[in-house]
Amino acid sequence: MTEFLFLLKHELILGLILVILLIMKIGSKSMTNSSLISLMNGLLFINFVAGWFLNREGVLFGGMFQNSSLLVFEKNVLSLGTWIICLQSSAWMKNHKHLPEFYMLMISTLMGMFFMLSSGNLLMFYIGLELSTIPLAAMCNFDLEKANSSEAAMKMIMSSAFSSGILLFGISLFYGMTGTFSLGGPSYNFDGSPLQVLAFIMIFSGFAFKLSVVPFHLWTADVYEGSPVAVTSYLSVISKGSMVFVFASVMYTAFRGIASVWYDGLVVLSLVTMIVGNLFALRQNNMKRFLAFSSIAQVGYILIGISGSSESGMASSIYFILIYIFSNLGAFGVISLISAHTGRESVDDYKGMYKTNPMLSWVLALSLFSLAGIPPTAGFFGKMFLLTAGAAKGNYFLITIAALNMIISLYYYLRIIRAVFMDKNENSLPSVQGDFGSRLALICCVVGILITGFAGGLYEYILSLSHGL
Amino acid sequence: MTLYLFYFLSFLAVLSALMVVVSKNPVHSVLYLIMTFFAIAGHYVLLNAQFLAAVHVIVYAGAIMVLFLYVIMMLNLNADTEPQKGKWLRVAATVAGGILMVVLVGALRSAADTLPVTAHDNQIGMIKNLGKVLYKDFMLPFEISSILFLVAMVGAVMLGKKEIK
Repeated sequence: MTEFLFLLKHELILGLILVILLIMKIGSKSMTNSSLISLMNGLLFINFVAGWFLNREGVLFGGMFQNSSLLVFEKNVLSLGTWIICLQSSAWMKNHKHLPEFYMLMISTLMGMFFMLSSGNLLMFYIGLELSTIPLAAMCNFDLEKANSSEAAMKMIMSSAFSSGILLFGISLFYGMTGTFSLGGPSYNFDGSPLQVLAFIMIFSGFAFKLSVVPFHLWTADVYEGSPVAVTSYLSVISKGSMVFVFASVMYTAFRGIASVWYDGLVVLSLVTMIVGNLFALRQNNMKRFLAFSSIAQVGYILIGISGSSESGMASSIYFILIYIFSNLGAFGVISLISAHTGRESVDDYKGMYKTNPMLSWVLALSLFSLAGIPPTAGFFGKMFLLTAGAAKGNYFLITIAALNMIISLYYYLRIIRAVFMDKNENSLPSVQGDFGSRLALICCVVGILITGFAGGLYEYILSLSHGL
Repeated sequence: MTLYLFYFLSFLAVLSALMVVVSKNPVHSVLYLIMTFFAIAGHYVLLNAQFLAAVHVIVYAGAIMVLFLYVIMMLNLNADTEPQKGKWLRVAATVAGGILMVVLVGALRSAADTLPVTAHDNQIGMIKNLGKVLYKDFMLPFEISSILFLVAMVGAVMLGKKEIK
């Protein structure tokens, strides 16, 4: 019984928060938005801190649920990201009418991701995936009065339903071939007969949809643009990060038997993803669309890391996601503050921002440098480890193309920085003052960007957790 | 006997599924879809899954079809409003669909001998056994899906609330 409590700790805490929210919604109407925001920020911080203690490894429900120190680390990373997002979007949330619902949907998606991470079984994985997608579509529609927010939600639910359909077809073929849903165990044989490869390709496309790998990326930019900034950052960081974690571990465990098949597919997809993501990011003029395409390009680099051998591939992609959370949330934090106060989101509006908002400009610049991978920031180390992991397979063509793509990406990140620091603008942004929460979130991001790069032990720590994969 | 029934039901399912796609009138499509669902329910009965067959008919042929019909009637769809796709898109779609079919047929043919055969149990689809499996082996997914329904409901109610000014 106590084993159950310890193993399911992360999920139970989230469930508790969910129940608290439900009871509050039913019980009293006196709670104001700002006190609810502080309460939730506190609860999410407790959730993040509690994630580090009293963890055990083990299996529950006949292999349906598993927990290991690597999974605990991944869950804590996601909790941290969620906390930062809640902190930095308080300016937008303050005036919203349905705040308890927003938190409920957000907590439940996080819970779905945790179950998805811990699943040792395709059925459990699928339900976790749905629990982390369907509420997200409702979250995309949270700017109730804006038409393109509804459009974003519609596109999100349609494309995710379509990808779930393909994924389910793959899962049912998988079940037909192996006679079991579990990804492992004594009777598990996945040896690469044609039908198994077909099932794998379908499951793979389900993943690719959620990761917005290039032939499956068409929904990304529109959904990112239409959603509220808080949801966009949640989608691009937390949702994508959890998918990368699951994807990497599934590739190295369940589909290890056909690694020679998926290696080629992964190489082609990462090439296409990097190139298309970068080329489209060059010509975007809306900040959210721009970050959408830049995040597509980042997924291309992550796929290179995953194509490497299991331990270094796993560790480098987790390390990169950790850095990506800090750098992307830094950029989104600035955009979110400015969008909430002025409602302006295009790159032209950011011209001359340094004159009026010097601190925010520096945070934005640091985050974009980290996303581009310029040496003193953490992003450089993240990309270096990804490429090193990928280079272990000896495919130097792929690495060269990736390096060239990073140069292209430097151009468009620097374009934003030039607009912020150098360009003149008569109609520049007014001086924006964030509240305590958003400042704390930005400080967290800046510290994270600097610390994760220089704390050399961090990568080794993740690598030691990934042993035995 | 069962084999003939199987062939008959499969023929019916494929034919009516084809008619769903081909027929011009959306209401006809929906009616053919009901026929497809009944044929699939027949397959469930052949597999000794009586409970699943009953649920399938009630939920899909009953509830979901009514929803479909309502939506079609409210949108007032007909052949004129149907968006026409370009010629090249049609060719591309045909080629892609054909290739997918060839791949599927090829993969299934090669796998036909290697499929795992499980022991046949003619009580497997009874509601009692189903309940036992659901609450014993699959308890965790069952419970999680209740959370999924709860938050889906929260989202739907939130979105459905009209703002009265």
